[in-house]
Formats: sequence, structure tokens, C-alpha cells
Amino acid sequence: MRPRVIGTIVIAVTLAIVCFAPAVVRTQTRPGAQQTQGTGAPASPKAEAAGPVPRMADGHPDLSGVWWGGSDIGAARGRGARGGGRGGARGGTAPPTFMSLYKPEAAEKAKTLGDKDDPTLRCVPTAFGTLNVSLWDVGAVGQIVATPKMIVMLTETYHGFRLIPTDGRAHRDDQPPAYRGDSVGRWDGDVFIVDTKNFTDNTWMSAEGRVSHHSDQLHIVERYRRVDATTLEIEATVEDPDVLTGPWTVPKQTLVLAPFDRILSLNCSGIETQALMDAAAKQNTGK
Amino acid sequence: MRRAIRTALVWSLVSVAATATAWAHHSFAAAFDMNKPVTVQGTIVQVRLENPHSWFFLDVKDSSGKVERWAFEAGTPSGMVRNGFKPGIIKKGVEVTIKGFHAKDPSQNVGMLRELIMADGTVYGMFGSQQGPGAQ
Repeated sequence: MRPRVIGTIVIAVTLAIVCFAPAVVRTQTRPGAQQTQGTGAPASPKAEAAGPVPRMADGHPDLSGVWWGGSDIGAARGRGARGGGRGGARGGTAPPTFMSLYKPEAAEKAKTLGDKDDPTLRCVPTAFGTLNVSLWDVGAVGQIVATPKMIVMLTETYHGFRLIPTDGRAHRDDQPPAYRGDSVGRWDGDVFIVDTKNFTDNTWMSAEGRVSHHSDQLHIVERYRRVDATTLEIEATVEDPDVLTGPWTVPKQTLVLAPFDRILSLNCSGIETQALMDAAAKQNTGK
Repeated sequence: MRRAIRTALVWSLVSVAATATAWAHHSFAAAFDMNKPVTVQGTIVQVRLENPHSWFFLDVKDSSGKVERWAFEAGTPSGMVRNGFKPGIIKKGVEVTIKGFHAKDPSQNVGMLRELIMADGTVYGMFGSQQGPGAQ
């Protein structure tokens, strides 16, 4: 290999290390989580280190807190939740994504759509979440306010919320189809199960221009489990018989408690961004 | 060696742009021409920290004195704020230099913000503070 090429590689690697080293350091020195108390079952060494699962007055795990993947969008260590936030896998075969399970006609429809058609450009939320975390929607941070009767999930990016009764009741019949659907919940031991349906069909499953249209038959079942004081695991199964060939098992997401207790209140207009994407589409495709 | 450093820097910028793309609410690669860097100096007219992306508007004088309005798209407000970009830190009327990439549509005075440089040398990146006296 020529010295110039070797020099280029060495410098590029060095710059990459400089750029991403903070990710490693900051991950190892994450600020302490909120103080919690509770009477959880015998804990693993990891759980003991993080602290026991806090519990509500009724004995169920308290899911309250601001949950993220360890950082926000744009931070050096921001990589979403652990466990395949973007559906990827290290080595081996990548797990299926929502779009990989499209029926032929749904795949054909997807080919007619592009970046400029992404509803989130117009401040319309996703039906699920760009990083496969419904609590986050388009962003990478969300908050849960839990009570024994109702669990409230608040999404920062587009002012989204879900009011989830915990008593196992049926879906309400007075709720018009909604961007984020209608959710009901129940406890199965220490796991909180959320059943969501009654979606509109004019959102996508994720943002970032990733074409991920769905139908109004979308049905999402999530399982939330607080592993210890600072860790929340979420598993989900997604069905949409109108557009998918079968259920999509979402890669398990592992969130951590953020070192702050309130999400921000942020506006969305999307005016310039939509115009930008419309103009870019004309440049890219001539349409 | 100088050429090697230049090549490496270009690759680093491409990597950073790719990272931003992966986290953006839309594809930056689809909207901006990464082969078309742009630098403008002007007066801040408005800063909007909002979703889906923040925007910086500034008035730029050309060599003939004619003023043109430019708009630069930056990161998501939550990421910018939590990375140390405090709201109101860049006020209307301040002189700044913005480096970035031009929108794919060449007729628009629009770009992707890569660096915003204040008069005191403070540098803010697409997602918040980077370096300089006022950076965190």
C-alpha cells in the first residue's frame, strides 16, 4: 500500500476516534439516575447496582420517568435504544422490518412514495416510532407518568400523548380513528401490556423519509417491563393484515432513565422543511 | 501528506453528514448537495427552535450591497438544547458566519447548517455547542 494511502487511512481513523471517543467515555460515566425506593423481588447484581424496581401503591412497578437511549439526537453517543433501535443487527441476518413484510401491492405503493411524502414533515406524528419506540414517536425521548389507574405516555417531539387505563377494559367506542390510535392496558405480573388500535391510515410507521405506510387495521401490542431502577425494556408485536404478510416482531428495545425529570415543550411548523423537501424532490426526480 | 489530510477531512465530514442523516427527521442527503459547500456572513433575522428541524434566517449583503435572505436548516430543538444550545443565545441582529451545504435546488438561498460562528469565535454545530468561549 502506498504511504499516502496509509497516511490517509491513519488520519481518517484518528479523526473517527476523536469524533466518537466521547460516546464511549460518556456512556461509562452516565450521571446517576433518580433516587427510587421499592420492594422488588430478589434482584440480579445488575439490578442491585442500579437499584430496585420502584413500585406504586398497588404494588405494580412504577414506570414513571423520562426514558431515552442514553442521549438525545445529535449527541455523540446518540444511537437510540439498545437492541436494534433501527431494526438492524450486528452480524448475521438482519431482523425483518415493518416494510420488509409488505404484501406485493403495499410494496408497489411504497415505490410511489418518497421523502417529500413523509407526513412528519407536516408535523403529523408517526403511528409507531422512527427508532421503534412508540414512546418516542419521531424523537428519542419520552416520559411516562404512572398511576395505579392510568398510565400517561408523553412524547416530546410532536406533543403526543397516550392515556392508557390499566384495568384491562375494552377499547372505547367513542374514539374516532387517531394518528396514535386508542390504547388500553393491563398488568401481567410485572409486565404492563398495552394494546393499541383504531389508527388513521394517513401516517407512517417511522419518519426520516423511510416510506412505511400502513392501513387503519394496524394493531400494536407492547409489553413494558421495568428491569431495575434505571432500565425499561419494551417488546412489541405489530399486525396489519391489510398491508403485511404476517406479524412483525419488533426487536426488543432497552431504554434508560434520563437524568432529568421533564421533557421539553416544543413547537412544530414544518413550513420551510416541507418546501425544502418538495424542491429537492423536483431536483432529484424532476417531479 | 497535506493531500492525505485533506482527503481524510473530507471523509470525516462525509461521516458526520451520514450520522446526521441517520438521526434527522428527513433525509439530509435528499435535500442538500454535500458536494456544494456554502459559506455566508450576515445578520441574524430569526432563529426558530422548532420541529421537525430548527431554522436560522439571516440577511446577507452581496458585493453590490444588495441584501438577500438566507435560511439554514439545523438539528432538532431537543437535541440542540440538550447539547448546550440555550434558547435566545443567538439574538436578532448579531453578525454570524454560517458554513454548510447548499440545498439541491440551486435557485433557493437555503442550506444545511454545519457550523455557525459567532463574532467571539464561538462555534455552534448542527446539534448545538461545539467550541469557543461561549460554547459548553
